[in-house]
Amino acid sequence: MTVRCDELSRRLPDYLEDALPAEDVRSFRDHLSSCDACRNEVAVAEPSLLFARARPEEVSSEDVARVLAGVRTAIALRETEAKLGAARSRRRRRLAAMASAAVVAAMTLVLPGSGRRSADSVTAAAPAVPVAEPGFSPAAQHEPSGTFPADTTIYDWNPGAESPELRVVWIVDRSLDI
Amino acid sequence: MELVYSETRERREVAELSDGELALRARGGDMVAFESLVVRKTPAVVSVARRIVGDGEDAKDVAQLVFLRVWQQLARYDEKYSFNTWLYRIATNLSIDFLRSSRSRERAHGATLHLVRLREEETFARTTIALEDGELARIFQTVASRLTGKQKAVFVLKEMEDCDTKEIARILNCGESTVRNHLFNARRILRREIARICPGLTDRRRP
Repeated sequence: MTVRCDELSRRLPDYLEDALPAEDVRSFRDHLSSCDACRNEVAVAEPSLLFARARPEEVSSEDVARVLAGVRTAIALRETEAKLGAARSRRRRRLAAMASAAVVAAMTLVLPGSGRRSADSVTAAAPAVPVAEPGFSPAAQHEPSGTFPADTTIYDWNPGAESPELRVVWIVDRSLDI
Repeated sequence: MELVYSETRERREVAELSDGELALRARGGDMVAFESLVVRKTPAVVSVARRIVGDGEDAKDVAQLVFLRVWQQLARYDEKYSFNTWLYRIATNLSIDFLRSSRSRERAHGATLHLVRLREEETFARTTIALEDGELARIFQTVASRLTGKQKAVFVLKEMEDCDTKEIARILNCGESTVRNHLFNARRILRREIARICPGLTDRRRP
């Protein structure tokens, strides 16, 4: 249904009161965007409606590609952070297990009656040197070489040769921080 | 030999799916579906963000945050509701947050920005109703700088994005009467600012 010029000004109060049915709102706006005379008339009564005709600026395909690239990078970064976080918590759990084993071993030695056990079994319960396992290597193990700026940090997520997961090396150049 | 996987073919297939179907596929970990959704919805998200934050470059940054939030919260998307409403809710909330933080940054550079704004207002004072769309958008950003984030978002959604009151209430997670209040106050402030900054806009006489 189209709106005539004389109907438009009659419907303006209802439009402003949000009392028009959806279909009438659409035809009101369509008329407003195509009729200069009515737009000027309405602008006097309700100046803010002038902005209703402002068309959105074009969003180019380059803009879309830029947004997509930014989203991809952000998601990759979040996923890597999540993996690093999981590796850290696994390492913490392993350390906690080793610490508890050490405590149990110490108690076995100190508590009365524990002397009956052999020293070998105690050593086996608390290994002195952790076995090298797959996991997260902190930056300290990877000193930045001359290839990268001095404040570069290199993280290495190594799930181990047995794991189907890929190894991720993450190079962070702090000079690019924003 | 049979072609087992083709990304081009998969992209063509997902292009025919609705927004809601793409969202469900993306929720199941389908990155092709998620990226199709990003490509399809970026123009709408940039458009609404630009109108709220007032700058094209900032709007693209907000759009990236919007899609990152969508990806993080896909598990919470309820397919009973329109995907557009859910997307607009995220876009509007992030745009309002961005506007709020950029306004507090502006306050830190108050004196310089005040001078820039005065210079702009001098130009707008000579503006008449026969102006271009680009100029109208710039004037809107100046006169709308007095609106709160919510008032601006309601005005943009209602008058520029053609959303109805019920949908705006769902997007902003508030009652319809609150939407009407925001709209009423937004129009009142815009009327006052237009009369102050660019009275020529409402002059009955044509230039």
